[in-house]
Amino acid sequence: MAFQFEPAIVLETFPMLVRGLKLTVQITVGGLFFGFLLGSAAGLMKISRNMLVRLLSGAYIESIRGTPMLVQAMFLYYGVPLAVGVRIAPITAGIIIIAVNSGAYIAEIVRGAVQSINPGQMEAGRSIGLTRSQAMFYVIWPQALKRMIPPLGNQFIISLKDTSLLMVIGVGELMRTGQEITAVNFRAFEVYMAVGLVYLAMTMTIAKLMAMVEKRLSVSRR
Amino acid sequence: MIHIQNLHKRFGDLEVLKGIDLHVRPGEVVCIIGPSGSGKSTVLRCINRLEEPSSGTIVVDGHDIMAKKTNINLVRTEAGMVFQQFNLFPHMKVLANVSLGPIKVRKMPKDEANTLARNLLAKVGLASKADNYPEQLSGGQKQRVAIARALALQPKVILFDEPTSALDPELVGEVLEVMRRLAREGMTMVVVTHEMGFAKEVADRVIFIDNGLIQEEGPPKEFFGNPKNPRLRSFLRTVTAA
Repeated sequence: MAFQFEPAIVLETFPMLVRGLKLTVQITVGGLFFGFLLGSAAGLMKISRNMLVRLLSGAYIESIRGTPMLVQAMFLYYGVPLAVGVRIAPITAGIIIIAVNSGAYIAEIVRGAVQSINPGQMEAGRSIGLTRSQAMFYVIWPQALKRMIPPLGNQFIISLKDTSLLMVIGVGELMRTGQEITAVNFRAFEVYMAVGLVYLAMTMTIAKLMAMVEKRLSVSRR
Repeated sequence: MIHIQNLHKRFGDLEVLKGIDLHVRPGEVVCIIGPSGSGKSTVLRCINRLEEPSSGTIVVDGHDIMAKKTNINLVRTEAGMVFQQFNLFPHMKVLANVSLGPIKVRKMPKDEANTLARNLLAKVGLASKADNYPEQLSGGQKQRVAIARALALQPKVILFDEPTSALDPELVGEVLEVMRRLAREGMTMVVVTHEMGFAKEVADRVIFIDNGLIQEEGPPKEFFGNPKNPRLRSFLRTVTAA
């Protein structure tokens, strides 16, 4: 039987993906929100003067960056409940995994941005009597935040795409929804094309949003 | 106002300060000169502990800044600092640069701090630049804002670390003029500088640091008119020849 591309099926697939799309957005937004908090904390801890704090943050970053997210997902969802005795809902597990995973990469983005600010800025802050944390919060952080925008956009896009891996722990997100549709109609070509287009639309939206934020910040000067 | 005794500072194996003794009286203007790498900026940076002294005692306005119980953040508000590279906060407007210290450190109400900041900006001739960002200013204007920022904490002494070295020659005058006025008003100042003319005219005392030690000090007339130390003589020759 010769393969015949049916554009109509691509179009029919889109409305069926809505539920999965919603979950993907939910998990991405939730995961990245907590991932940014976690990453900011870990990034600042990495440049702490306290060695123990530095080691702690370093261990987190290395262990997450050094293992596949697929392994992390399976471990948290199937492994951890056996040890703790509490099952986690797939969506909650998904948000935790994205947060913990993106947090490790965001930590390095935060550290790099903070360290790229001229040390004279910290000295000037301290010279007017600010404490180290006040100088960090009022002087260094706002300037560092601006430098984080491009690499953060990159990480947001990566994390969005990584949510597709969550299908292995039974999260009914976009990718899994697509797979379920193909199981019924066997139109893998059209369905995955539709799925891919939806991901593309979302990543392009993120890129656009980040470009807008960058522009806005550059209007208000460095 | 400032009492430094037997101050040593080493960076690894390199001993930059080899026992500095320096006393600055209230209202005095002390200029420190010396070749680059002589340790003159390091002395200044030790006075508000931006640089951690290796040994020695430093007392600023009665506070032993090396003592554990001393709140170094409060001591720093008594000793304002003006940097060679200005180090203004580029993400804040000029006004906010000046009022940040009073608001966050002195807990001054915002209105009051802004009024203070505007007055200080007027004092350095930049009242009209309050709502600009630092990058819209010339180097000389930036340095004058930095002086206003230091003044905002109402410090007892201001430390100037080569305040005109990063400026285009035609912008040096406006900064020196502001400093001259401060000196006349009785502000205690320690100025690391290459501006011999300024030192001659404004300083009560000039200090020559070379090789980590004070080699000569005295009132500018004697210091420049009849230098005794051979190294100071050759230093002054090279500077005035340039």
